[in-house]
Parts: sequence; structure tokens; C-alpha cells
Amino acid sequence: MTRRISNFKRFVMMNPIIQFFRFLYLSIKVLLIVAGGHGGTRKI
Amino acid sequence: MAKIVILGAGISGHVAASHLRRKLDNTHEVVVVSPNSNYQWIPSNIWVGVGRMKSDQILFPLAPLYKKKNIGFKQAKVTSFFPEGDSDNAKPFVMAEYVSEEKRGETEKITYDYLINATGPKLNFEATEGLNPGTNKTYSVCTYTHANHAWQGLQALIGELKQGKEARIVIGTGHAKATCQGAAFEYILNVEQELRRQNVRDKAKITWISNEYELGDFGMDGMLLSYGSNIMKSHEMVEMVFEDRDIEWILGAGVNKIEDGVAHFETLNGEHKTIEYDFAMLIPSFSGHGFKAFDKNNQDITEKLFKGFMIVDADYTPKPYEEWTVQDWPETYQNPSYPNIFAPGIAFAPPHSISKPRKSPSGTEIFPSPPRTGMPSGITAKLVADNIIDSIMQQKESLHHKGSMGNMGAACIASAGFGMTKGSGISITTFPIVPDYKKYPDTQGRKLGKTFGEIGLAGHWLKLALHYAFIYKAKMKPFWYLIPE
Ligand SMILES: Cc1cc2nc3c(=O)[nH]c(=O)nc-3n(C[C@H](O)[C@H](O)[C@H](O)COP(=O)(O)OP(=O)(O)OC[C@H]3O[C@@H](n4cnc5c(N)ncnc54)[C@H](O)[C@@H]3O)c2cc1C
Repeated sequence: MTRRISNFKRFVMMNPIIQFFRFLYLSIKVLLIVAGGHGGTRKI
Repeated sequence: MAKIVILGAGISGHVAASHLRRKLDNTHEVVVVSPNSNYQWIPSNIWVGVGRMKSDQILFPLAPLYKKKNIGFKQAKVTSFFPEGDSDNAKPFVMAEYVSEEKRGETEKITYDYLINATGPKLNFEATEGLNPGTNKTYSVCTYTHANHAWQGLQALIGELKQGKEARIVIGTGHAKATCQGAAFEYILNVEQELRRQNVRDKAKITWISNEYELGDFGMDGMLLSYGSNIMKSHEMVEMVFEDRDIEWILGAGVNKIEDGVAHFETLNGEHKTIEYDFAMLIPSFSGHGFKAFDKNNQDITEKLFKGFMIVDADYTPKPYEEWTVQDWPETYQNPSYPNIFAPGIAFAPPHSISKPRKSPSGTEIFPSPPRTGMPSGITAKLVADNIIDSIMQQKESLHHKGSMGNMGAACIASAGFGMTKGSGISITTFPIVPDYKKYPDTQGRKLGKTFGEIGLAGHWLKLALHYAFIYKAKMKPFWYLIPE
């Protein structure tokens, strides 16, 4: 069955103060994934 | 002294050119050949397509920047490749035809020591009968011109909805093998929000149509992701969002013909159906540009360079889905026949799709082609530039920098609506892009901590921040290189 977005979740998603902290968290998390680097997959 | 020619000034071409120019002194020549006089930040076309940004906010002219930075610029399109030169030229070259006003139609042999093919995809509208942006009530947002047309069409429809008309809007993929579902996903959510903002949401039915087997496949075989304290599949997350926004969906649909306000499609279970609409945005299939290649004796050697897109260091041996591995994916984007040619971004031929291939009973392949989003396009371009720089400096081939999509993460911040307080974004990150089922057997080939989803206003702010950051970076303003790809 499809999950639904509850009213509380919606409040959290759109509350600017909570979202400001989510913004900082997300920016860092995304940066870490980018900075986490990349490389090859084949063993030499 | 080396001459590096870069074909294309999209995300990959421009990233490669700017890094090469920054790291190589002026004794080396960096030349960009591209038909468009402007750089465009394609991801923000979504907002142009709903009238929330003007196209001049997402583009800038390349010639003045390149002049200032000592990067050569030829506003031309490449037509053929001569990687061994020809009877008149010992040096390899590409044949280009100018499209700029002053030189339109003139051709030039552009010689090179290193060639970076960053020509991205051809938007192959012709592959779907009647799919032509701006006609048959059907639009695209793949370029800023298309996005402008789409907004004109949508705006006209909103006007009619305000007069009381009821309408259907269809958004998704316009071909059985189309990719870039993410862009269509962003657009459908932005259109839905725009209708709400204009108080006409109740007048329109909105339908998602896609070649995906499940929602949230995105051409990446879907993903298992962490969402807050939950673990869910991407299809559950997208279903939740579509339910919330009252968006219907049709899946496994290979659109094969467009008539005025009608899309014809075949489904994976073999049915042939149609859907009528008042406005549609359908992503076309992407293909190679149909370039030709010749050896020094003018013999056709196209198959050494191209397989639709450009051949690179991937394993192209045909094999069944169950035998695909991440090792099939390229690491250096170097052409195996001509080591001074590279193809980062969308320009390289992928070894196979990422999504599981599926066919209808009549044999029509209906599944997404592999996407290559902005982040991997930038990363692969930078690593190609770095290998060329090392090779020039060390005066011998160096392929030290590697970046397989099987060992690279991607962040996709999908806009779900524009607005500083009412906007929303769905931020999804994945690691790796191509699932590695051996390394991560229990989590659908991906590392769970690095594969997560998040919905909310913060996503919109992040997408907007990235818009400004990447345009700043593309304009090569002070310390631009500190902003990662
Ligand atoms: C609407 C939309 C939204 C998107 N949103 C996102 C997003 O939010 N996040 C994300 O990561 N990715 C997004 N993407 C994907 C992203 O835009 C692509 O991954 C990226 O543009 C690929 O870069 P590229 O340089 O390989 O190709 P392109 O950007 O397509 O650049 C190709 C370049 O080659 C030039 N060219 C074409 N033909 C020739 C020729 N014959 N000779 C010389 N030059 C030629 C073109 O003019 C262009 O300059 C989106 C794509 C679309 C269409």
C-alpha cells in the first residue's frame, strides 16, 4: 500500500526553521558524497 | 607545445576547458568548438518551463569569457573525425562547420594533439513520429529555447483553466528507450505546484507516463534508500509524492507516435493504447550525433570511434543482464583505438543500460537508457582533463585519474516546486551510480548510508544554491575551482 505523507511530516518538510537546519545537514552530506571521491573498479 | 580541442561547451566540455586552461600555461592551446554561443545551466530549465526563471538567468555568452581566459572558441559544429589526419595533413583533425553569423557554412580542419569529445546527446525527436517540441501540444524542456516554448504553452493553458476549461496534462518520456526521467519528474512536480499557485489545480488531471517498470527507477534500476529513520525503495518514495500531489501514473509505456494532443504507446504487457491531453512535456530519446570517422586514406573507420556514442574503455561484449558488472563501465573515457581521444559526460557509449532490460510481447524494448547526470558529467570531464595535463607534463601517457560510475556517487536534487517559503525539493543521493551487487549484495548494489532521500523546503534552497554556485563556477569567477563538480 502506498505510504502517505502525514500532517506532521508535512509540517516538518515546510517549516523554515527546521528546514534551515536540514539545509545545513543536506549541504554537508552532499558535499561529503562528492568529496568522498571516485575511482576505478578494475583490479590491476 | 600541446593543442587540446574540446568539442562541446555543455557541462563536461566547459569543465574540461576551464580546468585545462587553469592548469596549463599559455604555451599550450585550449580550443572549444561548439555550435551554441551560450553556456546554459540545463538543470534550471525546469524553472524556465514553469515561468519562475527567465532563460537569461540560466545562460551567459561564451565568447567574452573564453577571450578573457585565453581559451580559443569556434562557434561551429563538428561533422567528422580524422584521427590519423589525411593525405594533406599529418596531424589528426576534426572537420567543423561554422554556424556563427559571420562565418556560417564555412568549414575548417581543426587539428589537435588531444581531443575531448563532450558533445553530449543528440535530442532524437525524430525517433518518435510527430514528437517535435512546440507542436501537437507537446513540448520539451531539454534546452532553454524548448523550456521557453513549454512555458508559453503552459501559460496559455493556465489562462484557459482560469476560464473554466478542464484539461489533462501528461509529462514523462516520449520514447520506449528514453532516459532523463529525473528531469521529467522535476517538471511534473513543478507544473503541479504552479497550477496550485495559480488556483487552477482542480481543473487539471496530471498524468505521469514513463518507460520505467516501476516509479523511481530513473534509469538506475531504482534504489533502496534511507529516508529519515526508514528504509524504503525509491518507487515507494515517488509513489508517496505522486499520491500526495494527486498525480496518476502509467508505467512500462513506450510512446511511439504523437498526434495533435494524443500520445500513442505500447505497454510492456503488449497493449496498444492512447492518451489524450491539452499539454504534454515528453523527453525524447537521446542518441549519438551520427558523426563519421575516416583514416588517413579516407576509408570509413566510424566503427572504431562510435557505437552510436563514442567508444571508450568500457567492456562492450554483449552479455545477459545477470552477468553485467560494474567493471564493464569505463574508468578513463579514453578511446581504445586512438589514445589521444576522450569522451566524458553523455558523449561516451555506455556498455549497457543500468535498468533491467524489458520487452513487450511483440519484442519492443521498453526500458530507460542509462542516465548521465550533471555531476558525473563534470567529474568525468575533470578527470579526463587531469589525465591530459599529466600526460603533457610528464611527456608520456598518464591515466592515473579514474572515475567509474560504479565507484562514484551522485547527488540529484530534484526540484518539486519553486519558492523561498513554498518551494520543495526531493534530494536523492546514490553511491555508486551503477549498482555494485557484489560489494553491496544486501542493499540492491548501493551503500545505504550514502544512498538517501529527503523531501522538503531545504531541497529547494539547495537546488537554488547550486544554481547560483554552478553559474558562478562556470563564469570562472575568483576561486571557482574550489566548488566541486
Ligand atoms: C531538463 C533537464 C534537467 C536536468 N536536470 C539535472 C539536474 O537537476 N541534475 C543533474 O545532475 N543533471 C540534470 N540534467 C542532466 C544534465 O543536464 C546532463 O547530465 C549534462 O548536461 C550532460 O553534460 P554534457 O556536457 O555531457 O552534455 P550537454 O550538456 O548536452 O552538452 C553538449 C554540448 O555539445 C555541443 N554540441 C552538440 N553537437 C555538437 C557538434 N556537432 N559539435 C560540437 N559541439 C556540439 C552542444 O551545443 C553542447 O554545448 C538535466 C537534463 C535536462 C535535459
